[in-house]
Amino acid sequence: MAPSRGPEPLPRTVHASLEAHKGPVNVARYAKGSAKYILTGGQDRTIRLWNANLGTEIKVFAAHGYEVLSLSVSHDNAKFASSGGDRSVFLWDVATGVTTRRIAGHMGKIHAVEFNEDATVVASGSFDATVRLWDLRAMNRQAIQILDEARDAVQTIHVGPTTIITGSVDGHVRTYDLRKGELRSDFIGHPVTSVVPTQDNQTYLVTTLDSHVRLMDATTGKMLNDFTGHTNTAYRCRACFDHAEATVIVGDEDGMIWAWDLLDAKVLPPNPPPKAHQKVITWTEHHPTDPNEMFTASADGTVKVWRHPATVT
Amino acid sequence: MSNRLKRRLVDLGVDPSSSKANESFCLIGTPLPPLEKSKDLGEFVPLWKQEVRDEKGRRRLHGAFTGGFSAGYFNTVGSKEGWTPSTFVSSRTERAKQKVARPEDFMDEEDLQELRDSRKLVDTTDEMDFAGTSKAGVDEPEKDSIASALEASLLPPPTDSAGARILKKMGWRLGQGIGPRVSLRKRKLQDLQISQGGRVSSDLADIRDDDEEASKHTYAPRDTLVLLVERKDNAHGLGYTPGMGLHESVGGKRGTESTKGHRIAAGFGLGALNDADEDDLDVYDGGLASHRRQVAYDTTDHGDEDVVTIGGRLERGKKPPVQPASSAAVFRDGQPVLAGFALSDKPVAEDRSFPLPDVPDGWTPDPRRVWDRYQSKEHLPPPAEPTKIEGAWDTKITADQRGAMLGETPLPSAPRSVFEYMSKKDRERIQNIAANQGRPPPTPGTTALPSAALPHEATRIPRTEPQIAQAALRGFQPFAADPAKQARYNAYLQSQVGTDAAGPPLQPLPGQRIDEFNKEVEDYAKAALLFKPMSAAMAGRFTSAAVVEQGPKIHEGLHTPSQEEMEREEEEKKQEEEKDVSPKVHAARMGMYGPMTRETKPWQPARLLCKRFGVKDPNPEPEVVVPPAPAPAEPGSNWQEPEIPMASTSAGMGAETGGARKGIKDISNIGLGEDEDQGRDTLTYERPTMDVFKAIFASDEEDSEEEENKMEEDEPPEPNASAALSTGVAAAPAPVDTGPVDLSTFKPTFIPRESKAKKDKERDREKKDKKKREKEKRAVLSFAMDEEGGDELEPRPSKDRPKKKKQRKEKREEADDEDGMWVEKPAPDVVKDLTLPPPPQPMEVENVPDSGPPNKGRKRAVDFL
Repeated sequence: MAPSRGPEPLPRTVHASLEAHKGPVNVARYAKGSAKYILTGGQDRTIRLWNANLGTEIKVFAAHGYEVLSLSVSHDNAKFASSGGDRSVFLWDVATGVTTRRIAGHMGKIHAVEFNEDATVVASGSFDATVRLWDLRAMNRQAIQILDEARDAVQTIHVGPTTIITGSVDGHVRTYDLRKGELRSDFIGHPVTSVVPTQDNQTYLVTTLDSHVRLMDATTGKMLNDFTGHTNTAYRCRACFDHAEATVIVGDEDGMIWAWDLLDAKVLPPNPPPKAHQKVITWTEHHPTDPNEMFTASADGTVKVWRHPATVT
Repeated sequence: MSNRLKRRLVDLGVDPSSSKANESFCLIGTPLPPLEKSKDLGEFVPLWKQEVRDEKGRRRLHGAFTGGFSAGYFNTVGSKEGWTPSTFVSSRTERAKQKVARPEDFMDEEDLQELRDSRKLVDTTDEMDFAGTSKAGVDEPEKDSIASALEASLLPPPTDSAGARILKKMGWRLGQGIGPRVSLRKRKLQDLQISQGGRVSSDLADIRDDDEEASKHTYAPRDTLVLLVERKDNAHGLGYTPGMGLHESVGGKRGTESTKGHRIAAGFGLGALNDADEDDLDVYDGGLASHRRQVAYDTTDHGDEDVVTIGGRLERGKKPPVQPASSAAVFRDGQPVLAGFALSDKPVAEDRSFPLPDVPDGWTPDPRRVWDRYQSKEHLPPPAEPTKIEGAWDTKITADQRGAMLGETPLPSAPRSVFEYMSKKDRERIQNIAANQGRPPPTPGTTALPSAALPHEATRIPRTEPQIAQAALRGFQPFAADPAKQARYNAYLQSQVGTDAAGPPLQPLPGQRIDEFNKEVEDYAKAALLFKPMSAAMAGRFTSAAVVEQGPKIHEGLHTPSQEEMEREEEEKKQEEEKDVSPKVHAARMGMYGPMTRETKPWQPARLLCKRFGVKDPNPEPEVVVPPAPAPAEPGSNWQEPEIPMASTSAGMGAETGGARKGIKDISNIGLGEDEDQGRDTLTYERPTMDVFKAIFASDEEDSEEEENKMEEDEPPEPNASAALSTGVAAAPAPVDTGPVDLSTFKPTFIPRESKAKKDKERDREKKDKKKREKEKRAVLSFAMDEEGGDELEPRPSKDRPKKKKQRKEKREEADDEDGMWVEKPAPDVVKDLTLPPPPQPMEVENVPDSGPPNKGRKRAVDFL
């Protein structure tokens, strides 16, 4: 963590392998808080809750009729939202494992769903090129607002404290600034599959389907760095920062986990990295608090929790 | 409506239930419902009041979604006691007991009834099928046991028909005949009759009473089998059996069944489980009796017994048909001719058939031989004349031919060529010359070389004049579209120009037939002639194109672009895209992210969204910013109190005036609505100059006071002070007393302090009397007006008064704040309107004229004066 030592090496030892999904795992999220649990959603229409430390499955949430494409856990870990092929956002109660609300309204499959900070609003981005913001306080069937600026499917959403960042297949990253009342759209030029901002919301990481991961300046829209080497041309591969935000991590379509130094954009050794999964890695997420842990979810149906060998013991 | 009417009637003292009150005089349209509920069930009920009830009196067809069904308890899933959702009970322990819910469990009685009705598949009128007689009666191929068992299991069990049920109740059993029970003797007689098929007289039949015991009982008569009429499903005539000879058809089906084997004796029935023994077989069962089973009831004239006897069908058939007297004719075999038919004298002409020709031995069919023969015939030049002579008129022959055939001398026709004008001698000479030169006679163009001597397949190359060929070479190129052909054309022409310049003479292409080649070359020759070059002079004016223009290449069939074409097109497309790509995309492609790729535009988040995110609305209430004047100066106040949207509307007003206004509004504007814009025009109204009033109202007789009073009448809210100031007439009547004010006549009034002091007492008194009188009149009049419903007559004052008050107030404040004061009672105007005025006190009368009693009264008073 000490910046003087340079970026930490990536945890590359499998701590636990979560294998219960029958098909590709499309999305996986850490729980909030101490993030002891991982929530995964797969092509097999189920959402599974895992203990990341023990590698055991805790619960299966099955109500979706189609694949699960996105998940979002609320701040208090009491509920989560999921979405997928069935064009509705499902709100779940974690404890009982039932849906508390199903919000229909989108015309296409919903690729991304995200709570705001206190889970009073959920944003959903869909194939129908809209982002809809739903009020969870009131049982209103109508969305609070529909952001229909995107010209193609919305693939990713990030909801910050005062901003909503969406990434769309039309190659734009749109930042809706609530405080300023302003929409800033940055044209990336290639279909955007994931947008992950840094903690300070000054930069964001954009994954596009031209096998590039770009670090963009949120305030000016300039490109700060460009990370290449991996292959990502067809699937949504979510990139992430490591704990100290000194490394950019992404799993590619060959099942390899790539890591770059944030500053000089050099691939961290080993280069090329070893193959971690049999198929495309769809989701990479670093533990929010523990610098030693991250996980990758793959289309081969497994989610692997990685740790440093020292901490595995 | 009728309720009100009823009430009114009751008030008038009319009994609403009396027939007089209910009498209807309505001729057109729907009469009003009667005042009293009548017992008439057929009474007209409007559609929306009609109800549908089932036989139990429950209401049906309630609600929009029922669609005619009544679901549950008033269209709920519950019952009258309420609805309890089924609770989950683990079925683990009692899986064996688990009851499968049937649809019937969820049906109400209507559904069940319907279900029951629909299950009645078998028609009650169906005939009972007695032990499968229909199957047994028809002589069908024997079924094997499995098939019949299957059939029996699959078919629904035969049900008793109503008749059968009645019969069974009367004692009939299956297998018995119908009729009164008979003695053994009679029964035996019946058996005999059946077996012999004839009528056997009771005397003739020797029936021995073998068993005494048996003769003591009566027996059920023998069963008779139903005559089964076969269904006719063919097109044959009646009685015709296909594939049956004449004799057979006449003789009936005799002997077909007799061969089937032994018959069981008719005397005793066999049990279902018994096999036919030898004893049971009827040895004497003759062939004639073979049809005894297919019998039906037949009444006979066997007088002595009143028993239904049975006659065989065959016997009946043998009965000589009733012959009509007219037809005595009989067929050769003794059959009578049917009525209406006559016997033909002529024998039937037999069809003559010829034997097939004998096929020679060793003959094998070979059609090719035949075809070949005819083909070769076709190829041969047909002998024209003999076929024509044949006789058939051939329309194809021309008049000339016909004439030749008839031997007519041909008509002298016009000479066809120059040669015909020549003498024969000359012609021969010319031909000789031509032959010598090896050239055809100088006819224009070319002539085909007479190659009669050559074999049929020889190539014939028509000649073209060298000059012509030369010119044609230089001239138009007719086959430009086909370069190969053009080359051959050129080669031909060159060969024709001169042997020296030309290459090898034109040869047929490989694979080209000779005749095709000939035709091609002929075409060339013709083309050369056709595109005859111009004269030299003309030709000099033109030059042929240096570039041979290639015509568009036409592809046959569906066009499939080749690989390189597609690539080229894509390349072009790409280039085009490159051209019209926006600078944004271009920048992104170049990796120059930044201002080029960034677009910023305003976006209005929904208010609720801002609330949920805990963010202030970035552009709150964009429509509020309409009045421009002081808003930019203090935008903060605007935002801090967004709940007062009109805070900045009145531009000229300070904060405290706004507050004061509000206070006033609260007290005196009761019932006048919260519309802030109300009477704004009144506020901004500018009073005309005094001269105008003077010009209109000033009169010589009336003193200034009166004049001013009049003015007040027209402009009641006009403050006295300002009027006095502007006119210069110190005329404002000052109220002496500001103490107790009568509510009814109260009007907030401004009393200038100076004028109050300066009041001229005499004048006051003078006026007092005058005005008192006036006022009394006015008061009376005005209140009378009020009672009559003054609101309708004068809608204005109630609305305008407070505004005017306000206006006056404001003006007062602007103008004479320091030397004026308000005398005001916190009484609302409404109170004043409602309370009756007590007789005006002399002191108050002073007040009245300037502050203005109700305006309505004033106007009337003016009119009155």
